[in-house]
Amino acid sequence: MAIMEVATGRKLTAAVSPLEGADFKQITKKRYFFDWKKEKGSADLFKLTLQGESDILGLLALIDFPREFRMQIHLLCVSSETHGKTKKYDGIAGTLIAFGGRTAISKYFEQACISLLPKTELRAHYKSKYGMMDGGPQLFLEGARLHAIIKKYLP
Amino acid sequence: MSYKKLLQEHSPKDLAESFVFPVNLSAKQQKTADLQLAEGRQKAREKMTDSEKLMGRLLGLKFRMEDYFRAEKPDKEYSFSYFLKLYIELLDMKRRGFAEQIGIDETLLSQLINHRRTPPEYIPIRLELHSNNSIPAEYWFRVIEKDREGAMLLNKAAMRKKEMKYVTGGISVRL
Repeated sequence: MAIMEVATGRKLTAAVSPLEGADFKQITKKRYFFDWKKEKGSADLFKLTLQGESDILGLLALIDFPREFRMQIHLLCVSSETHGKTKKYDGIAGTLIAFGGRTAISKYFEQACISLLPKTELRAHYKSKYGMMDGGPQLFLEGARLHAIIKKYLP
Repeated sequence: MSYKKLLQEHSPKDLAESFVFPVNLSAKQQKTADLQLAEGRQKAREKMTDSEKLMGRLLGLKFRMEDYFRAEKPDKEYSFSYFLKLYIELLDMKRRGFAEQIGIDETLLSQLINHRRTPPEYIPIRLELHSNNSIPAEYWFRVIEKDREGAMLLNKAAMRKKEMKYVTGGISVRL
């Protein structure tokens, strides 16, 4: 998986792995926006780092709904210096969403689905950026659209 | 920082490219939302083509294989036999028909699926050809190597004991 360094346009190899106990020492609300400790036990938590580095650039909380063959993106954020107009890297959120899709496909094959419940103002942007489809208040990806985002962000 | 404050400082587009925020729904709202999602998915599934479904199955197999051979320690649940059996099941094929398509005897296929024989070198190549390059031969080779690593680790202590008598010299430093 690759993310892009905005200043140079260089593609950098990233890795997504499960969040470990020791990681919480560096996860502050100031840098990662949410209280991630609160999510322990209720969601599967993952971190995105550059390959071989320990600094966390993005976090993901996934909730599995096995009876529906679905994984819900409950929470996602990039670190404070990697978002907005002055962001250092591009593609972190897309890579984490694609990772969620990969996890769902690995478990549920052709029935796999990932979903999220968007804030109203962001809804249209998730649809245009990631190809998400309407499912009532929730948005979802499955089938060819899910394969496409994985191909784009996890080539 | 609250969502509202972030929204004052950043565009919705920027926020959508960096966050998925928590949204609280009442139990009643959640139930309705889940039903609407199920309906939306049902409609999408009705439009799903056979090749799209097959792609999903093959991707699932490929990702499981990657996770197996990239793991630090081999996962005992998985093996070449497991993945071969899964491949045939995902294609919804009978073993006899599959054996014919890759040009091997059904008995050999059965031995491979039942852990009774190490795969000959040509098997990963034939599987790559059969899958139209969807699952590269390298994936099958790496799975076979991971199986060997797992077997070696399982018997390592006994093997060391057995081989010790043959090693009469050695270096003095240890990394």
